[in-house]
Amino acid sequence: MSQRRFDLFASHGRPPAPDPGSGSRDWSVSELNRELRSCLEGNFHRLWVTGEVANFRRYRSGHCYFTLKDRRAQLKCVMFRRDARRLPTDPEEGMTLRIFGDVTLYEARGNCQFVARRLEADRAEGMWKLAFDRLRARLDAEGLTDSARKRAIPEFPRTVGVVTSPSGAALRDIVAVTRRRAPWLRLLVRGTSVQGPGSGDEIAAAISALADRNVDVMVVARGGGSIEDLWGFNVEAVARAVAQCPVPVVSGVGHETDITICDLVADLRAATPSAAAEAVAPDGESLFQRLALLRQRLGRALAQQARLRRWRLERGRDDLLAGVRGRVAGYRSRLEPGRLAMSEAVRRRVAGRRARLEKAAAGLEARSPVSTLARGYAVPLDDRGALLRRAEDFRPARRFRLRIVDGIVPCQVEGEGLANMEDAAAGSGTKRGSTDGR
Amino acid sequence: MDGDDGLDRRLERIEEIVRILDSDLLGLDEALALFEEGVGHLRHAERILSRTELRIQELVGDDGNGLREVKMRGAEDDE
Repeated sequence: MSQRRFDLFASHGRPPAPDPGSGSRDWSVSELNRELRSCLEGNFHRLWVTGEVANFRRYRSGHCYFTLKDRRAQLKCVMFRRDARRLPTDPEEGMTLRIFGDVTLYEARGNCQFVARRLEADRAEGMWKLAFDRLRARLDAEGLTDSARKRAIPEFPRTVGVVTSPSGAALRDIVAVTRRRAPWLRLLVRGTSVQGPGSGDEIAAAISALADRNVDVMVVARGGGSIEDLWGFNVEAVARAVAQCPVPVVSGVGHETDITICDLVADLRAATPSAAAEAVAPDGESLFQRLALLRQRLGRALAQQARLRRWRLERGRDDLLAGVRGRVAGYRSRLEPGRLAMSEAVRRRVAGRRARLEKAAAGLEARSPVSTLARGYAVPLDDRGALLRRAEDFRPARRFRLRIVDGIVPCQVEGEGLANMEDAAAGSGTKRGSTDGR
Repeated sequence: MDGDDGLDRRLERIEEIVRILDSDLLGLDEALALFEEGVGHLRHAERILSRTELRIQELVGDDGNGLREVKMRGAEDDE
């Protein structure tokens, strides 16, 4: 070995290297590599290197190998599984990367290599954005983010499934909003980690678990955080679970400005967990108002029925009355001539009778004794009112009554009673009576 | 599923009843029966909405089949 080395130098005409000396011993390869390695690791500690990535390979073991290069040099790099699993996606060929880590020597092969612990695209969040865009493009192509796929959020759910951290602020917000707006609801919570490696799979599993529990609508929520914190909601497993969920899903992840894959596939994207809760919990206040309005309308509708009924009844009654009146008028017009004739006959008969009565009255008047009495005549009557018209009717001492024009005078026959017509004519009248003082 | 189902169906039915009562002249019995049905739905709906205690349950266990009632109260929840 050393022989060839000398030959090599000799061929280039260089002076021979100084004799290594007899005191020094030979190194084993292992010793040298170990020494080199500690030399490298001691001198290059935790540094950032920038370059273009080439031949990025992720092996089944989870370790990733790639080359970082610039125009004149290359650096072999490795990222072990523990760090590689945090990568949202693999970098693209030729992408400019910043990698952070340590230089070391892989003793088994004598290769110098860089052990990358973090890997970033040249712009901040570049790797996350790359991963996001890649997954989004795939989901878009499948139609999973299509607005035509969005289902309506039920207006009146009974049970709301909630996928979130059981100890997070998101759950507290959701509970507070639901309690205020719709306390009659039931929240069914499936707790999950919402951050860190593996959280995506957990979130997906939680969605599937709730999907089997007959919830009416589901809320997937998490409070705000960095894009790395929210990454669990940007993985394909979550997108698939949301797309396959049998009930509508409302996504409330992060703040207003954060958009996740979960948001895109969900049926409704809410800006925050509270907004997600408001989207699923109907507003009790306005619901009560709606019920009150319905009660009013129901009452009015029944009253309207009564009005319709009365109106119809009144119309029927009017029609009936008009009909009856019409017929009565018809009968009347037929009866009228007869009625006139009849009343004329009655009138005539009455007039005739009146004439007869007047004539009789006149006759009676003519025969009345009253006028004779008025002229000074008197009429003697017995107790029973019979007329005493002959002399023999006046026995001595007989009491009788004398009817004169304005009254009755009680009388008694005096003396012999009977007197001659001549005596009567000559002196005191035979019919001279005397009052008996009564 | 619990028994107080169909707040939406009840509201729809009430609205339908109002529509029928508003538009058609019905027999008196029929109109009254519809009215009573509507009032029944209203009462039921109001009873549902009057529940004031939010029920929170947590799905627990590896198989996700366990149910646990959650008591969540705290100053920040009460407004």
